[in-house]
Amino acid sequence: MRPGMSPAARDSGEVNLLLELVRHRYGSRLTAEQLEALRESVQAIGALAAAVRAVPLTNADEPLAPFTPFRADE
Amino acid sequence: MTPVFRPLRELAEAVRTRQVSPVTLAETFLARLETLGPRYNAVVTVTRERALIAARRAEAEIAAGRWRGPLHGIPYGAKDLLATSGGVPTTWGAAPLREQRFDYDATVVRRLEEAGAVVVAKLAMVELAGGMGYRQPTASFTGPGVSPWGPDAWSGGSSSGSGSAVSAGLVPFAIGSETWGSILSPAANCGITGLRPTYGRVSRHGAMALCWTLDKLGPLALTADDCGLVLDAIAGPDPHDPTAADRPFAYDDADATGRRFRFGVIRDVAAGAEPAVRAAFERSLEVLRKIGTVEEVTLADLPYEAVTRTILFAEAASAFEDMIESGAIAGLTAPEDHYTAYARDAILAKDYVRALRVRALVVREADRVLSRLDALVAPGRPGVASPLDREFRSAARGNVADVMGAIGNGAGLPAIAVPNGFNEAGLPTSLQFMGRAWEENTVLAAARAWQSITDFHLKHPPVG
Repeated sequence: MRPGMSPAARDSGEVNLLLELVRHRYGSRLTAEQLEALRESVQAIGALAAAVRAVPLTNADEPLAPFTPFRADE
Repeated sequence: MTPVFRPLRELAEAVRTRQVSPVTLAETFLARLETLGPRYNAVVTVTRERALIAARRAEAEIAAGRWRGPLHGIPYGAKDLLATSGGVPTTWGAAPLREQRFDYDATVVRRLEEAGAVVVAKLAMVELAGGMGYRQPTASFTGPGVSPWGPDAWSGGSSSGSGSAVSAGLVPFAIGSETWGSILSPAANCGITGLRPTYGRVSRHGAMALCWTLDKLGPLALTADDCGLVLDAIAGPDPHDPTAADRPFAYDDADATGRRFRFGVIRDVAAGAEPAVRAAFERSLEVLRKIGTVEEVTLADLPYEAVTRTILFAEAASAFEDMIESGAIAGLTAPEDHYTAYARDAILAKDYVRALRVRALVVREADRVLSRLDALVAPGRPGVASPLDREFRSAARGNVADVMGAIGNGAGLPAIAVPNGFNEAGLPTSLQFMGRAWEENTVLAAARAWQSITDFHLKHPPVG
């Protein structure tokens, strides 16, 4: 985050950038109404990200996801 | 005896003692599926040929004294995301996939066959189990699922046909799947009992993947006891699914009479529910005090819903990346499913991993609370079945609070929904019991105790 930038401004900037990514990748398939609906969806995703980013974590907080080394002969 | 609306034990005893033949049972339910199924948009494929072969085999085995157990010769329906061999389509509810076929059976289907159960139908579902962001019931190429309790009421989703078919007596039980709400929602809207097992209790092999770390398969049936009998047949490890836990499960059907349960209620858990749901829940708490204690509990301040939703959106976007990137989602039924998933590209990898890290805090917090309780109780759904022609409120989409669903699915915990009343229009309401990981027997015992002192599960819609 740039010094002096408020969280709201940062979030708004992120939403615009991410929406631009969506538009870049899929815009040719989308109507104006669909793009506007996607703005709301991207904003909602931004809100989800803000919520999970707000939880303090330490280096020891590992992802809860299974990973198992694999051997075909076992 | 008429076999419709009978609990599994009654059917099993009639089959075992040869009062009813498996072929007669299959014919009865096949006819109901064919004649009544379209009324509820409940069925994708009636598997008549396969069913009659299996029913004749069951009949011969039982006549020869080889009774396999309580599901032997009992018809059931499978949500149409479970692979079935023999040329039977497995459509995932999606128009572009209506000709999709597999040359093997999902592990759940295979286990039920080994138990002697007879698959009579592939049941309708919301396209891609709702993973593309649908907002209203018309989101399946088979039409909107209709609750047998009201011609204009949604059956719920995404296991729509699994709910309505059981409720209308088209099958004695069904298999559904839940990522977030897809078993409990149709159970609630259709006034039946639905069990979401612990994540990993039931193999997902052969089931459509929506979210690899959230998907669970489980039964929908008339009673909690029925659900226990079915879970007993389908649970267990599977070399084809590394997430299927190597933990034994045996259904404990011991009489729960006299057992005192310890129930917890998350503070304000019903605050956002519709008035009829809230009133039914308040009445239910009074009933539950006859079989146990009820205490209010508080949870640590964590973003439960944001964690589960982030994981759901990210994994679903990856699971269906081919359909999304190719634009094939434009062939889906719900207009909003044609484009909503494009927004998931906005989820950063770092945020998905962070959600998985916060999930570790969620599972520990859930276990801290549940380790002192037999179950958390709450409304099964915040509302009754919504009208077919309107957008519904959805926890997965984030326009209604569902901390129980977020924790239960995010932490992979078992829960069972049971009917607990009706609103003024005659639509059912629901109560859920959610337990500690691997405590299916505890939530089943609580639900059996509930159904031993209430009669909501004995009420059936006027189907004909």
